[in-house]
Amino acid sequence: MTTTETPFVLRIDDPAAVASPLLGGKFGSLAEMTAAGFAVPPGFGVTTSAYRYFLAESGLADAARAVRTEARGADLARVQELSAEFSARIEDATVPAALEDAIRTSYARLEEEAGSARLPVAVRSSGESEDLAGASFAGQYDTFLWIRGADDVLTHVRRCWAGMFGPAVLTYKPEATADAVLDDHGICVGVQQMVEARSAGVMFTLDPVTGDRSKVVVEGCWGLGEGVVGGGVTPSRFVVDKVTFEVVRRELAPQESAYGVDPATGVVGLVPVAEDRRELPCLTDEEIDELATLAKRIERHRGAPQDIEWAVSEAGDVHVLQVRPETVWAQRRAEQLVAAPKSAVGHVLARFSGTGVATGKRPS
Amino acid sequence: MTPTSPGPLPFEPARAVPGKRFASPFAVTTPPGAEGWESMYPYYALLSSERAELEDGKFWFFDGMHNPEPLYPFDTIMTENWWVAVSQMSTRVWPIPLAGGIDHRIINGYLYISPNAVTDADEIAARAEDFAVRAGHYYENWDEIYAQWVAKATDCIERLKGIHFAPLPDKEPESAVFAHRGLYSSYDLLTRYSELIHNLFEMGSYHFEMLNLGYGAYLTFREFCQAAFPGITDQTIASMVSGIDIMLFRPDDEVRALARLAVELGVTGPLLGTEDPAAALAAVAGAPSGDRWVEAFEKAKDPWFWFSTGAGYQHSDRAWIDDLRLPFTALRGYIKNLLDGQDIDRPLEAILAERVRVTDEYRTYLPTEADRESFDGLVELARQVFPFVENHNFYVEHWHHSMFWSKVRELGDVFVAHGFLDDREDIFYLHRNEIYSALYDLNIGWATGTEARGVTYWRPEVERRRRIREVLKANPPQPALGVPPEYITEPLTVMLWGINQESVQEWLGSEDQDPNRLNGVAASAGKATGRARVILDPEQLHEVEDGDILVCRITAPSWAPVFSRLSAAVSDVGGIMAHTAIVCREYGLPAVVGTGFATTTIKTGQLIEVDGGNGVVRVLEDVTA
Repeated sequence: MTTTETPFVLRIDDPAAVASPLLGGKFGSLAEMTAAGFAVPPGFGVTTSAYRYFLAESGLADAARAVRTEARGADLARVQELSAEFSARIEDATVPAALEDAIRTSYARLEEEAGSARLPVAVRSSGESEDLAGASFAGQYDTFLWIRGADDVLTHVRRCWAGMFGPAVLTYKPEATADAVLDDHGICVGVQQMVEARSAGVMFTLDPVTGDRSKVVVEGCWGLGEGVVGGGVTPSRFVVDKVTFEVVRRELAPQESAYGVDPATGVVGLVPVAEDRRELPCLTDEEIDELATLAKRIERHRGAPQDIEWAVSEAGDVHVLQVRPETVWAQRRAEQLVAAPKSAVGHVLARFSGTGVATGKRPS
Repeated sequence: MTPTSPGPLPFEPARAVPGKRFASPFAVTTPPGAEGWESMYPYYALLSSERAELEDGKFWFFDGMHNPEPLYPFDTIMTENWWVAVSQMSTRVWPIPLAGGIDHRIINGYLYISPNAVTDADEIAARAEDFAVRAGHYYENWDEIYAQWVAKATDCIERLKGIHFAPLPDKEPESAVFAHRGLYSSYDLLTRYSELIHNLFEMGSYHFEMLNLGYGAYLTFREFCQAAFPGITDQTIASMVSGIDIMLFRPDDEVRALARLAVELGVTGPLLGTEDPAAALAAVAGAPSGDRWVEAFEKAKDPWFWFSTGAGYQHSDRAWIDDLRLPFTALRGYIKNLLDGQDIDRPLEAILAERVRVTDEYRTYLPTEADRESFDGLVELARQVFPFVENHNFYVEHWHHSMFWSKVRELGDVFVAHGFLDDREDIFYLHRNEIYSALYDLNIGWATGTEARGVTYWRPEVERRRRIREVLKANPPQPALGVPPEYITEPLTVMLWGINQESVQEWLGSEDQDPNRLNGVAASAGKATGRARVILDPEQLHEVEDGDILVCRITAPSWAPVFSRLSAAVSDVGGIMAHTAIVCREYGLPAVVGTGFATTTIKTGQLIEVDGGNGVVRVLEDVTA
């Protein structure tokens, strides 16, 4: 059933993966980043075709549409009920053998390349429409970290599929998104080698609060980036001027616990930060500079402001974990800064009379 | 001068109240040992009971930038000059719509200044009309007026150079008799002194002819950049407009050129052989081709070594020309660099290329075409006015003021020669009007042959003043006094002293922690007011009602369904990229995250206000019954 047109699995370093809708927004972007030479950890996507094939083969496709339709407009209790029922059906269904084989083979290849059996990977959903319809779907999809072994990978791929019917996804609907788009959107599940992050976080190639495009805003913490992305850890924040690379603002947050792998259980959770690191910034000035440079390159490559997840390993290597278009300011009509266009002398004369040159729409 | 104390006050001077006001200027006490300090300064620069109400109600800040130490009586000439020269531009010449003059008072020897604001709307409008015509004329003809300015300033300096002071002769020379002038050394001494003082006031007036307008154009560009690129540094803004060939770089450039010439002529040995400039000069003069170097050195020295090591407002700010050790240290460094094969040229092309890159790149980050057009126009205007803004500093504060102080020292020698003072430097303990009196006293003594009163009067008085000034110097001033202003509109205040609402607030200190206010990270802009809904457990989410403000530890993705019902959100932890913040921005909800204590200090039902642009949450009203 796997054909070159509709493969079940696509590696992000496969030239065919670039711009392929089969990987969803998130993973498709990573394929593009990989092709452009950015340091993206290796991985593969279980494609949207695979997801549709699974629904069709297990006879759940019609039921899925019915659940979505009913959830729309239902009260929260009913949505939760629908979600629980349908998620259970997905997790109980059998994965078709051809699909299972494709996933196992691809995982084995990652293990082989890394030279590590039971290679830890991150398994996460990558929705078809999440980056396209003007909504970031922030946090609406699942991410499972530090998954080891093919069996566990398979289990979590299925959980990601089930996550498509979580109550939040069933009700999440920013204004601009049409029902039809939501009804039919598929999902890819990305399987990607974990970076054992010393520090990690997110960065925006504009100031997300003011829309100022001359800044890169980096938020980071010790350990895995889940703390920043999920909001569980107050991150340190660095506002970098894109032109001069000065750090124009620095808000350091002391950090007592970080997301990491508990060595005993192999489970990702909050672990204590080493005493001597708690009060220290999670990034050196050189790393902040490197991240800002990277952010600028990615923005230039993609031609628009971006939201980037990154990680720095203990060795100091910077990795790109996720790239997606910034969705909030991209949606807004650019607000003109000057209150009324005037000659330069006109602006200055007005300034002396108490009329500022800018309307001050930007909160600072 | 008559010692002046403020006299009885109609009120009890207020003490400082943190967060609210500074101490009344009348609450400042004279440190023990400095009693009578008022006698060193003119009556109009002192606080008085008659003007107490006015003086008590104003905001005064210490001008530590120009005069970090207690003023020498003579040095008040500089501050008195701009008291008029700056203020008249704002009030009588342009006038500047929002800004009045800048008032001065000397308190415990330190200069405090207070900008006057114009607040009446009709008056502002009337002033704006005149201002547009008059200032508009200057902006439209800037380059031509600047060329005229340079000619006036240079002429003023030439005339200053021509003023000389010498002790009065025992006997008038025959030439004075046979020329039939009918005027003698006594008259010349007085008129030269008047000439000196008026020369300072003349340059002082030129100083501010164009400065406010130059600063205004720059400030407008700066405000534009700060609004467009919040957090952009002043240094970066300046780098987009400042010139590379400004006069303040010339002294150093001249030293580089002299270093190159020394290498070319093979006279580096004598220059490196000693740290004493006089010895080095003598050694070079004796070396083959050394005369060519000395000639170049003398040419460079005037005017470029009239280069003050301070702001130029105090006589103690010495210039290179008074003390050649500084330029010679630099010279030896450059010579060594050249001998080591290093390049000592300033990378002018690289600096210019960087200026173009920085300006062009910021331009691309502007939101609209209209903004890019405004940016282009403002950069161009700022670059046009900046040569004056930067170069006036060399003409006035360095070249003219340094030469002025040296002329006053020449006059100090006259007083030493006539037995009034022990040291030429002591002249600075006399106010300029006292010097005029002392010169007349000197003339009387010279004319009559009777010992001048000054011979016994000034030495002890200078000693008394020296002691007082030492005590004042050991008692540093408070940064500000009086009642903080609502607005600061005077452009020089903002531009030069960097004084704005924020710095005033910082000086005021914070009031005791306001229990109804929480600060956090400004995560999603906008303001909203509503009832607080404290959610500690997702089970409580169904309690959320339309218009509520969510108050929580953190939010989770699963909470998405309630966001459409909220008017704002507040969390204890998180940054601007936390889930709460991202979702709030998507929904256009104001959000403050990372407040630390929202869930423990705010109660469900309280009316609260969320200011998402500034990261502030306020409790407006307690739980209603």
